[in-house]
Amino acid sequence: MNNIRRRYVPFMKAGIQNLVIYRLNFLGFVIGGLIYCFVMFYLWKAVFDSNGGGAFLGFSMTDMVIYLFLSNTTGQLIFSGVSNDVGEEIRDGSITMRLLKPVNTDLSYMFTELGTVMMKLVVLLLPMILGLETYRYFISGALMFSPVNFLIYLMSAVLAYIISFRVNLCFGFIAFYVKNLWGIGILKNSVINFLSGSLIPLAFMPDGLRVCLEYLPFASMSYTPVMIYMGKYGTYEMLFRIGIQIVWAILMYGLSKLIWFGSIKKLCIQGG
Amino acid sequence: MIYAEHLRKEFKKTIKDPGLKGSFKALFKPKKEIVVAAKDVSFHVPEGEILGFIGPNGAGKSTVIKMLTGILTPTSGECRINGKIPTNDRKKYVREIGAVFGQRTQLWWDLPLQETYNVLKEIYEVDDESFKKRMAFLSEVLELDKFIRSPVRTLSLGQRMRADIAASMLHSPKVLFLDEPTIGLDVVVKDNIRQAIMKLNKEEKTTVILTTHDISDIELLCDRIVMIDKGKNVYDGSLHELRENFGQTRELVFETVDPKALTEEKFRKGLTLDESDLEIKKENNSFRVRFNSKKLPVGEMLSYTLSLTKVKDISVKDADVEEIIRSLYRQGVTADE
Repeated sequence: MNNIRRRYVPFMKAGIQNLVIYRLNFLGFVIGGLIYCFVMFYLWKAVFDSNGGGAFLGFSMTDMVIYLFLSNTTGQLIFSGVSNDVGEEIRDGSITMRLLKPVNTDLSYMFTELGTVMMKLVVLLLPMILGLETYRYFISGALMFSPVNFLIYLMSAVLAYIISFRVNLCFGFIAFYVKNLWGIGILKNSVINFLSGSLIPLAFMPDGLRVCLEYLPFASMSYTPVMIYMGKYGTYEMLFRIGIQIVWAILMYGLSKLIWFGSIKKLCIQGG
Repeated sequence: MIYAEHLRKEFKKTIKDPGLKGSFKALFKPKKEIVVAAKDVSFHVPEGEILGFIGPNGAGKSTVIKMLTGILTPTSGECRINGKIPTNDRKKYVREIGAVFGQRTQLWWDLPLQETYNVLKEIYEVDDESFKKRMAFLSEVLELDKFIRSPVRTLSLGQRMRADIAASMLHSPKVLFLDEPTIGLDVVVKDNIRQAIMKLNKEEKTTVILTTHDISDIELLCDRIVMIDKGKNVYDGSLHELRENFGQTRELVFETVDPKALTEEKFRKGLTLDESDLEIKKENNSFRVRFNSKKLPVGEMLSYTLSLTKVKDISVKDADVEEIIRSLYRQGVTADE
């Protein structure tokens, strides 16, 4: 463990430094995400208003606000750009330099990104929680923040990140075969947005579809932690959902390793 | 130390017909073709040697280097370095080697150079004291001081190259692979880099495999050269032997007093040498004649020239390695296919 820390923490530090250098880019992401949230907010507000302002499929307007903002923030928190990084490195052959290091390729990617995740946690998630709880306090007149739910949310978010990272890693490895990922990358993002419930809460979907989607890895990626935070799950269901997350994390880990070892033998370096 | 036995690497390549139509066809029904990047390359390098690994563009040098460094898996054949097969346990293996690919960088693009070294220190588990000593040594030889605090993306090519070389040497590797480390650099930087390689080789008995197109790299650094062409060995031996065996070419340079009377044809006529053994270049009143001294001894060539015309200045030069390699490349091309 100490060994891992020594060898991979430098990657994390470098990741944070990189983020600081590209802080404007990072700020762009944050602001873009917020604007998106507000667009969605007004859209759903219209839906709720036309519905007479009451609860809609078990969601009150306050719930909806929390859901929108938190699922977007969680989505940003667990977002993994590793598919782009891997894809690009495979495409231009610079993965060579990574292979020459005595480190696990996947862990080196992950720790570089963890630097970014840490930063997002501090500058994005914590203010967002604070803001949402203030909002909730003014609407309902009572403090509804549950530290237990928040902690379980964090745990679930960690699992969500692992799944997201592994899914994206697998996706990046497609570059071994197709050489350019841009087009299908956009397809992937839209599919994930829809299937993970960050566009429309899964609770609003028809029952059959909802149950299917809840078992897919995409729901584990942002829907589960957000629902946990909102206290929509009972103890039993919470454990069950986290169980599903763990299963998916293990499965995706295995899959990514499998693809990696299968592909690396076939690797051909482009250009020089 | 390094054994490469009958290394062969094949790639599958998708062939696209020209034009938009061809692109569509390739999208739905790709045609595959097998490209053999390395056919059959064997050599062996003892510890502490600097091997010049040369060959024309596209000969398969980089492919072989990539197999030796464990990045590519050979289609057939085997390589062993330090008794290890590179692809078997990549992580353990790469700990003992350093590599520089002239066209790529292992530095963190956006971070100050020093940060890359700090990261490498941790990755390779170099202890503080050796790291300090190493950095002092490297920044002295390679003159890193001036730019060690600048972000890598702001470095010039020469600076980046020196920084990359330093990065590959930081963990005292047993074997160093340098794939065109002096490409596109000026004389001073080239000299810095050569000094570093030489010092490391002498002080730590680091084995070095060097590919280059720069002949002076080879002359100054290499004990032995292996030349490949079209994925096969063409030559394997010391530089000295190469000179002995293939260095029969001499260059005669003279200036004639009467350039109008002496034409190229006239000069050629009196000699019984083949086209391949004789090459004449005339520029105003100076002649540059390359000839095979085995077919025509230098003395005879001189007396022939002097008998033909009155000269202002005359000199005969030994074949330089560049010339030898040029003739070997030509042979390699004709020897196969």
